[in-house]
Amino acid sequence: MKRITYIFLFLCIVLGAFADDVSFRASAPSQVVVGTPFQLTYTVNQRAKDLRAPEFEGFDVLAGPYTSQSSSTQFINGTRTSTFTLTYTYTLMAQNVGTFTLPPATITVSHNTYNSNGLKITVLPEDEKPDTQQQGSAGGNSQAGRTSQASGSKDDLFIRTIVSKTNVYEQECITLSYKLYTLVDVAQFTNNTKIPEFMGFVKQEVDLGNIQTNLEHYNGRNYQTATLFETQLYPQKSGDIKIEPASFEAIVRVRNQSQVRSIFDDFFDTYSNVSRQLVAPGVTIHVKSLPSGRPQGFSAGVGSFTMNSSISATELSTNEAVTLKITVSGTGNMKMLKTPQVEWPEGFETYDPKLTNNTRNSAGGLTGSKTFEYLAIPRASGTYTIPAVSYSYFDPQAGAYKTLSTPPYTLQIKKGADDNNAVVSNYVNKEDIRQLGSDIRHIYTGEIKQSSQDKVKFGSWIFWMLYIIPLLLTIIIIVVLRKRIRDNADIRKVKYRKANKEAQRRLRQAKKMMTEQNEKGFYEEIERALWNYLSDKLSIPTAELTKDNISQLLLERGIDQNTIDELNTLLRNAEFARYAPSQNNTTMQQMYEQTAELINKIN
Amino acid sequence: MQRLVSISILGLLIFVGLSAQTYDAIESTYESANAQYNAGNFAQAAQLYEQLLDSADFGDEQAYIYYNLGNAYFRVNELGKSILNYERCLRLQPGNKDARYNLEFAQSKIIDNIDQGNTFFLSQWITTLRNTQTYRIWMWLSIGLFILCLVSLLVFLFTRPIALRKTGFHIAWLAFLFSLCSLALATAAYNHRNDKNEAIVMQGIVNVKSSPDRSGTDLFTLHEGTKVRVSDRVGEWVEIRVGDNIGWLREDNIEYIVH
Repeated sequence: MKRITYIFLFLCIVLGAFADDVSFRASAPSQVVVGTPFQLTYTVNQRAKDLRAPEFEGFDVLAGPYTSQSSSTQFINGTRTSTFTLTYTYTLMAQNVGTFTLPPATITVSHNTYNSNGLKITVLPEDEKPDTQQQGSAGGNSQAGRTSQASGSKDDLFIRTIVSKTNVYEQECITLSYKLYTLVDVAQFTNNTKIPEFMGFVKQEVDLGNIQTNLEHYNGRNYQTATLFETQLYPQKSGDIKIEPASFEAIVRVRNQSQVRSIFDDFFDTYSNVSRQLVAPGVTIHVKSLPSGRPQGFSAGVGSFTMNSSISATELSTNEAVTLKITVSGTGNMKMLKTPQVEWPEGFETYDPKLTNNTRNSAGGLTGSKTFEYLAIPRASGTYTIPAVSYSYFDPQAGAYKTLSTPPYTLQIKKGADDNNAVVSNYVNKEDIRQLGSDIRHIYTGEIKQSSQDKVKFGSWIFWMLYIIPLLLTIIIIVVLRKRIRDNADIRKVKYRKANKEAQRRLRQAKKMMTEQNEKGFYEEIERALWNYLSDKLSIPTAELTKDNISQLLLERGIDQNTIDELNTLLRNAEFARYAPSQNNTTMQQMYEQTAELINKIN
Repeated sequence: MQRLVSISILGLLIFVGLSAQTYDAIESTYESANAQYNAGNFAQAAQLYEQLLDSADFGDEQAYIYYNLGNAYFRVNELGKSILNYERCLRLQPGNKDARYNLEFAQSKIIDNIDQGNTFFLSQWITTLRNTQTYRIWMWLSIGLFILCLVSLLVFLFTRPIALRKTGFHIAWLAFLFSLCSLALATAAYNHRNDKNEAIVMQGIVNVKSSPDRSGTDLFTLHEGTKVRVSDRVGEWVEIRVGDNIGWLREDNIEYIVH
């Protein structure tokens, strides 16, 4: 029982090995012409039997299947390799124009059934009837035929300039290719090729690999075609940009038809190489500038993009690195994309982002992704938020700006073991308010009142009235009260008014002397008080005062005779007492009182 | 009679209601414009502010709308329009510090580096002083000081104590001097506010010609946001002065600050 199991297992392995090696493929030209036979082959690399071909719908089977086998064995460095090929060939002919799909065929290799690949065949219409010139050539006018073949007919061999779009936005990708259409046998292209400069574009050449030829129906003829050159262009400015024509030099193999027809001519044609200059026409690209209203954080990207972001950690200690990864993927002018601006909070040491490109060419421009890795090291503990990074691009399909954004990340930073700040002494580094950036100030959001129109217009008569009216008022006041001003201005009047006060002051002085028993001083003071008082009152300088004119002036002022007599007595007594002292205290007291009384009376 | 009164009261109520309603509409436009601005929809905010300026006249308070409009334009990179509106705001409120700051900020983004105005320190100082207040405040200050001068004169003339008289005398002549200064500043401020000859370049790049026609020699180029002084006009062309440069450009390339 066990043995059987082993054998079974062994068989399985062997079969598996076989199964891995079997390759069963169908091949046929991808473009064929109606009414032209072509070959469909099925190739298998093991001995096989029982080919079941599908229904060739839309095709007539003209012949087949023919089988052919080939095998080879090689010894290289003592290792034996053998190959075996079994080929089934059908000759088919298309009935109708269109695209047809041939389902897979099946074949049996040592009791296992294998499927081939399916095939898609485009059937092109027949050539339209060749024009008269060619008929002429067929009719025997070899001279004409030769020129037509060698250098003439533009329809035989030409290059088309194929542009994916002619109306684009700035930075939007277009694909430009030069495609050869030929009915003749092109041997090769020389180096004498002139590709335009593509001024105004950034170009990205597409590597075509081996040139592949295809059959294409164009303008009623079936041409062999090959793409000679392909590039992607990104317009850098708006307006109409002209692409100059390109020129190629092709070497064409032409059959020599010698003038002298010999019997061999029909069997041994000789060929000669003729060079032909081919010009691919220029094109004009209409480039629209990107619309205004470009958002903040515009990436300069044109195309369609998506953005992903991830962060290496959200909880970490100080001095541990954190990496924020932002991946922008999509199709468009990937090369031009700016680095997204990440606003790290204060307290993070940041480094320039690392950029990884992973892009390839595609129809709409470069496709792939760009990864930006931002490394930062927090130097202070706390909770920080990295704000959302917004990244906008222009979508030419929608004709609008679109904005992508990452989520904001919140980072918890703990104090690390080697945190320098942990061992700070009492000394604290003070910092001024640091200007981190500058921006305009915010809008005014307060209430707006509908202010009333001002009544006083600058320079109006009301305005000047505001000066003139107070001025007039002042002038009126001055005119009305001018007497008072004169009074104020008249010094004699002032003295007159002040005479009483001055006399009182001197009397107080005299009283002080009386208490000090200074008799001489007392009498002097009394006398001076009287004389000064009279001088001020009568507006006569002291020097001009005599007892006589005092009496007269006082009389004129309507002071009665008694008072004048009293005054004269007092003056005489005072003068007398000054020069004959030793009066007693009572006399002094009496005289003081008398003087005070008199001054009151005259006043 | 009673009926007449009631009708007139009704009419008054309707009138008040209507004006209140339009005022409410204006208020809500203003608030939604601010909301749009705060939400980052600067273009819509600018449109609403423009609408607000068209619909109502707020007198000097209009300055705030000009200021906000300037901010909104600044956000959508319309440097020329932004500077124009800041200038308009400052014409109405020369003392608006935010507007002056933002104007200077916006001017720092202009490409043209032109030494504007007089560099003599005294005239700069006077301009700064003039700009601290509106012309109306200078006007009332001048009138007030003149009245103070007269009152002090009366005090000087009609009082007796020497100290009071002396004080009155000094206050009178000082007040008179300051009143004259204020009047001068008020005149300067009033003239500046209504100065119709200053304009802002609206075109991204414009060539200034030597004569008022297309074939004139290009003298120099100006960029969006630069302030120019218009000194002459010929048809569609204006003669402008920028710093020491003089030349001609088309009138539709500039926008007057006061129109």
